[in-house]
Amino acid sequence: MADDNENTETRTDGSGPGIVAPDDEVPTWRERKERTQGLSRLTYEYFERSRREDQDLRQESSYVERDVLGFPTWPHELIRNLSLTSFFVGMILFLSATLPPEMMAVADPSTTPEIILPDWYLYWSFGLLKLGPLNPELSILGGEKLMADRTYGVVANIVVVGFIAIVPFLNKGSARRPVEQPFWGAVGVGGVVFAITISALAIKNLLPLDTHLLFDITFLAPIVATLISYAVLKSMREGYMFDLNRRYYRLRPPK
Amino acid sequence: MADEFAKGFGILTSAGLIWMVLAGWFNTPTFEAKEYPQLLAPDPANPDTYTAIALELKDGLFWFAILGALTFWVVIPVGRELYAAYASE
Repeated sequence: MADDNENTETRTDGSGPGIVAPDDEVPTWRERKERTQGLSRLTYEYFERSRREDQDLRQESSYVERDVLGFPTWPHELIRNLSLTSFFVGMILFLSATLPPEMMAVADPSTTPEIILPDWYLYWSFGLLKLGPLNPELSILGGEKLMADRTYGVVANIVVVGFIAIVPFLNKGSARRPVEQPFWGAVGVGGVVFAITISALAIKNLLPLDTHLLFDITFLAPIVATLISYAVLKSMREGYMFDLNRRYYRLRPPK
Repeated sequence: MADEFAKGFGILTSAGLIWMVLAGWFNTPTFEAKEYPQLLAPDPANPDTYTAIALELKDGLFWFAILGALTFWVVIPVGRELYAAYASE
């Protein structure tokens, strides 16, 4: 172990300075007693206990080289997963026993509904078909539009789907939490908000809102959400809990 | 329960869950009505004893969910801040 401590590289077997805190980083008992806030104290004690168990295991056993970093599956992961599973299964049973939904009337295949809409999770695509006001009337064509509004909507679908498809190739960073990369986290928030607003645009004739105002909100709200979430994520990169979590997330395997 | 947020959140969710079930029993004549939303229909007229008890319980749980969460999220933290501020003087 002494050899590993002189190595500055975090190693996959859990040794090295990035995993177990060096002696000068380990808080004194006075510092531990001062951390009396409920959740942070609990979290701190949990990680400290895990760190200590990890250290003891590595010092006591001959099983030095470990391939996988992290907490043991049993009991840490399994107890957590089993309790979460039990909770949700119990909630499903409870709700289905207490609040059974009524049986709807059978759909009539011989009549067409007044308003035809796709399922709600496809509203965003339906909304992209309604971008007619964004289709420019080009003066070079004598005020004509380059393509019809419906063609423009289809092209907008291709652009958006194409952008989503290249997102995994844009950034392959190792960040696991939005605070670690505020810019990309904010871009993601903007995308989610745009999905919601463009879905609202798809059902604009059902919403109690002026159509032009809704159209403006559709494109302004994502920008506002992006800026706000960027500021919030930037300001979250401070404090004790961020450092504590960063230490935990350094346990992940290297890229 | 580790901290005040979890206590308030537990009160909000568990009381809200029971409130939702009772409102589904007594204040949701149909899921498809246009004139009033689910869970928020007016109370049934001439309730029998058990229904009246359940309606009272539902009302109490609603305010327990709101006030209980606010107590743990606002009142107790503010009280502690005030106590600490006065104690430090």
